[in-house]
Amino acid sequence: MKESKALDPREEVERDVLAVLCRPGVKWLAAVALCTALVLLGLGLWGYQIHSGLGVSGLMHPVNWGIYITNFVFWVGIAHSGTLISAVLFLFRARFRTSFNRAAEAMTIFALTVAGLFPLIHLGRVWIFYYLFPYPTERHLWVNFRSPLIWDVFAVSTYMIVSLIFFYVGLLPDLAIARRRFSGIGKKIFAVLSLGWDGSLDQWRHYNRLYLFLAAFATPLVASVHSIVSWDFAVSIVPGWHTTIFAPYFVAGAIFSGTAMVITLVYPMQRILKLEKYITVDHFEAIAKILLFTSLIISYSYLVETGFAFYGDNVFEAEQFRYRSFGHYAHLYWVMIFCNSLLPLTLFVRRLRRSLPFLFAVSLLVNVGMWMERFVIIVNSLARDYDPYAWGTYTPSFVEIGITVMSFALFFLLYLLFLKAVPVLSMTEIKEHL
Amino acid sequence: MAEILVFEEKEEFLARLRELKKDGHSRRNLALYLPWHLPEVEEILEVRPEALRYFAFFGGLSGFVGGMGFILYTVLSWPLITGGKPLISIPPFLLVSYILTILFGSLATFFGFLYLARLPSIKGMGGAEEYGNRFVIVIEEGQRPWKP
Repeated sequence: MKESKALDPREEVERDVLAVLCRPGVKWLAAVALCTALVLLGLGLWGYQIHSGLGVSGLMHPVNWGIYITNFVFWVGIAHSGTLISAVLFLFRARFRTSFNRAAEAMTIFALTVAGLFPLIHLGRVWIFYYLFPYPTERHLWVNFRSPLIWDVFAVSTYMIVSLIFFYVGLLPDLAIARRRFSGIGKKIFAVLSLGWDGSLDQWRHYNRLYLFLAAFATPLVASVHSIVSWDFAVSIVPGWHTTIFAPYFVAGAIFSGTAMVITLVYPMQRILKLEKYITVDHFEAIAKILLFTSLIISYSYLVETGFAFYGDNVFEAEQFRYRSFGHYAHLYWVMIFCNSLLPLTLFVRRLRRSLPFLFAVSLLVNVGMWMERFVIIVNSLARDYDPYAWGTYTPSFVEIGITVMSFALFFLLYLLFLKAVPVLSMTEIKEHL
Repeated sequence: MAEILVFEEKEEFLARLRELKKDGHSRRNLALYLPWHLPEVEEILEVRPEALRYFAFFGGLSGFVGGMGFILYTVLSWPLITGGKPLISIPPFLLVSYILTILFGSLATFFGFLYLARLPSIKGMGGAEEYGNRFVIVIEEGQRPWKP
């Protein structure tokens, strides 16, 4: 990369941000190697499951949706905050988004990539996954458009495509900057990726409108995708699932967990890559407020759904909520309450909100709590259905646990590769606000 | 020969652009290169609203109409009652059509942008003049062909 000697702050931004793309260090390589090994291990376990059948998982009547579906819902939820930060905060002209938007948009894509694997893993016969798509067959059968599982296919695929476009469009001017500042093969790669962007007036004004329109298209997706995921559950008549509050409750939970994951990813990135000048404590405090606000919404949702159960005159619903609190998985329920409802209340204290190690610790525990929430919702309801003779419990097998570990490893592997592939901060937007 | 004016600061650039506009220059013989988008430039040059909104609108509309039409075709071409629900179940069909509105709207806007901004540009990839963080006005002799 060409080094600039100028002290111009705009040049400095470019130099600092593009310095991240330098030759990787030993720690980065070690982290990539570890994640790759875990991904390979997980793929091996998936291969074992494909070879042996779903019997090697812990899935059995009555709990036929276990941690595969838990992981699917969790990772789709994680994706949401990326769109919130990039699209919704753009429409609200919140300036602090420039510190987080690139990382959050990348996180959305990686989380959706991981989430998209789980319905396939859960299918068992993964080689016929294309049955999920509407295509003309010789049997003249079409998919059932009344099924929420098909809504999921459309919603998640659309979300992935729109997120990819949004991410790439946001990168375009920065790729052109990288093209200017790199030499050799790097310059050639960035020249192609930047599509020959030259910053002319025509390009900028169309670009500006494009970004606005894409933000406007992506914003309803924040609400709709996780609403649709929630309807996988809510349109059934299973106690604990069949409730009208599920869509807003899931959307708030998705933004909550995604915001926590943004903090989990960006805090180490800020420290290790020395980006303190661009990602400040004030920026983290703004994100912490979103975390606190969404925590209050989901705590309210927990209260409301418990109220529904005990004032709704439905014995099955009441029993489900009693079972959640005191049944086989009660410990997970109380971990969920602690991590999602009680711990975030500490963020009312300004000093704690501005303490980055504390905020990082809270974000990790919120991630744990939100994973537990998905598990509690899915498994408890299936384990304790209407008929006591059909009750049962579920314990994930080593295959399911290994594949879950793989999902986290794959997510972090993709994120590590992202750090070394493209500018991690939006240089253009930072320069614009200097 | 084109005259190239290079500015380090936004204010100087905008002031010069206003002068040029007063002197009778227009978008037809001015080429501007910016390090980031400046809405003031569009006001000074009285640039017309661009056509990208039509791509967004018609893309979204085709997603909705095409999506709904396709779903209706599938249920009518093999009329199979499932779950006791009506063959034409409007609420779930609206949901899928709504998603396809967003999908087609986004795709059409993106490809519309590529068309309007003349991207990908082989000239740009092949090492055209780079102005970096500077604001540039290129005054061309004669009339440039009008670009939307």
